Amino acid sequence: MSVAIHMPAVRSPADAVLITGVGVVSPLGNSFNDVADALLAGRSGVCSVPAADFAREQTQFAAPVDLIPEPPAGICPDAAEIARLGRLERLCLAPIAAALADAGLRPGQGERRIGLVLGLGAEQLKSWELDFLAGGSDVFEPRREPTIVHRLARLVGIGGPAVTVAAACASSGYAMALGRNWIDAGWVDACVVGGCDILSPTAIAAFYNLRALSRRSDDPTRASRPFDRDRDGFVMGEGGGFFVLERRQPAADRGARIYGELAGVGMSSDAFHMVSPCSDPTQAARAISEALADAGIAADEVDYVNAHAAGTPVGDAAEAGAIRLALGAAADRVPVSSTKSMTGHLISGAAAFEAVACLAAIHRNAVPPTLNLDSVDDACRLDHVPHMARDHRVDVAASNSFGFGGANLCLVLRRAA
Amino acid sequence: MNTPESTAASLAVASHATVEASLSRLAALRDQPVPESAPALPGRFLRHCDEQTVVGVRAVLEAIGRYPGPRPSFERFGVVGSTCGAGRISAAQTLAKLPTGGGVVVSPHVVPQCSLHALASAVSVGLGMKGPNIGTSGGPHAVSEGLIAAISLMGRQDCEGVWLVATEWAGELLLDATGLPTNDPSCRGLAIAITREADAGLGLTLHCGSHESGCHETAGDSSGDPVGSLAAFAAALEMCRSGEVLESWSHRCPWGMEVRIASRRRGVVLDRDRSSPLREAA
Repeated sequence: MSVAIHMPAVRSPADAVLITGVGVVSPLGNSFNDVADALLAGRSGVCSVPAADFAREQTQFAAPVDLIPEPPAGICPDAAEIARLGRLERLCLAPIAAALADAGLRPGQGERRIGLVLGLGAEQLKSWELDFLAGGSDVFEPRREPTIVHRLARLVGIGGPAVTVAAACASSGYAMALGRNWIDAGWVDACVVGGCDILSPTAIAAFYNLRALSRRSDDPTRASRPFDRDRDGFVMGEGGGFFVLERRQPAADRGARIYGELAGVGMSSDAFHMVSPCSDPTQAARAISEALADAGIAADEVDYVNAHAAGTPVGDAAEAGAIRLALGAAADRVPVSSTKSMTGHLISGAAAFEAVACLAAIHRNAVPPTLNLDSVDDACRLDHVPHMARDHRVDVAASNSFGFGGANLCLVLRRAA
Repeated sequence: MNTPESTAASLAVASHATVEASLSRLAALRDQPVPESAPALPGRFLRHCDEQTVVGVRAVLEAIGRYPGPRPSFERFGVVGSTCGAGRISAAQTLAKLPTGGGVVVSPHVVPQCSLHALASAVSVGLGMKGPNIGTSGGPHAVSEGLIAAISLMGRQDCEGVWLVATEWAGELLLDATGLPTNDPSCRGLAIAITREADAGLGLTLHCGSHESGCHETAGDSSGDPVGSLAAFAAALEMCRSGEVLESWSHRCPWGMEVRIASRRRGVVLDRDRSSPLREAA
């Protein structure tokens, strides 16, 4: 008879799902060490971008990726095909290939079954737009071409399941959650998970017209100010990250570096509104509590919370309430910061990038700061880390991600035993 | 390494329904009253939704309406919305105006209503489902990606069930240079309530075959999942439900996994060995 899939109720060390490869592209750099250095130095990646590039009449602040790195040699042998890729595909391919190389995996060689879960919330909208701006007409013509995740899987030789996952600004975190489920279910031996996003004119315009973006026009590095009393919306960024997830034994057999454990996942929905977060923090707090329970840890064992906090007046206050509800008294002493103050909001790529920030905190034993947090909003009282990094041992980090449509996600990352 | 023996998932399809409407009928469908036995949507909830969201939400309402036995609250259900080509009309109309109109022509509804998550979020928000809500695919592998995403969410004990809602344009959607449709194709939505109650409804089995045999062999061309796979899936579910056939129906994912459904109503179970015939249950 068939066996129902299930997740282990109590994980043994052998059941732990570990992160053995990291790839990142971001406004702060394109390697784990560069990003960790920049985050802990409190460096902002936000700058002024040409208004004309984004169909706007005034200067636009954003956090772009300056240079997309080439995929490491040996992972993507088809240089001609790489050259034909669009910017969104290259932005995803680079960290996917980097994560595989970092983990010492070569898909297509050996018997390991490898999957790919791509967190990308608006692939079609972005692809149609990029094509249109380049003079194409894809959006006007009916096409059924494979999506990016399948093209990239083929390019790097991944033969296992390949799925695109979208949960708006939590997309890449949900990709990590799904990949972990696949390993638990035994569908794959390793899974590449994460997500990236790009800046585009219609995305900036849509968020601007939603009044979600900051309208500041003085100093770009001061525009993203999560939890601050004078916050007025978020700054868009681009980039993201990818990880290789796998069990301990195969990683040990290869001598792979272990960055940490994806120890817990919590997911819920507000079921409240297509755009606005719910002022009742119950469901967002449930995602945090379930992630902690999944990891088998108590609230007072959390050493750092990387907040979703994008800098919107409603969202930051709602999240502060959720953290307080989930952590209880521990919320007064668990350091909290929002790295979006440095990177802007990477949208689909945000959750994965912020998981990189958590791993950086674990590896460097320091909590990255929230820039521009000059005066904490009364509705957001927590143990904030303003302006400068704080030295602090971090064994367990929780990372929140919330998206349009009421998607709530919390990931718990733990120092590998 | 896990073997296929340990990696099959056996789940139940508790209810399902398909809704298909021509583009010209979709406007009316947005405001049409919900079925009597289904929960009410918030007023004018579907007003700004993408066409595929409209048929997807309607399909869920229909499936709730025909849910057998005592109906759960669905509050702890997750939602997977798997679309193919959703948002194209809005995107085309926006892009057609962008060069002359600039950013002000971009509707604030584009991101929340036309992104890949929109269908799942609309089901979650409209019907009060507080499990995870995620979108998948966007392209021709919508059935494959939706199935594996939904079934993998069922691995979480905090998820009582998952609504898988798959949508597509059943015919080619043709647009002029301003993004206005020039034909009247149908939009199709299939909603499936997946639960763990193994003895209820239809059996849904995910058979994890060898990945090496898949290797994205179909990803290099434009066929992807066979055209019409959503319709075939819907038809197979309906036939299994009515007990018309004892044969199982299989959907093969491009990476080699296979999802099979079979009716348990007549005591039929699905043997997990592909080469074996169905056998009568003891």
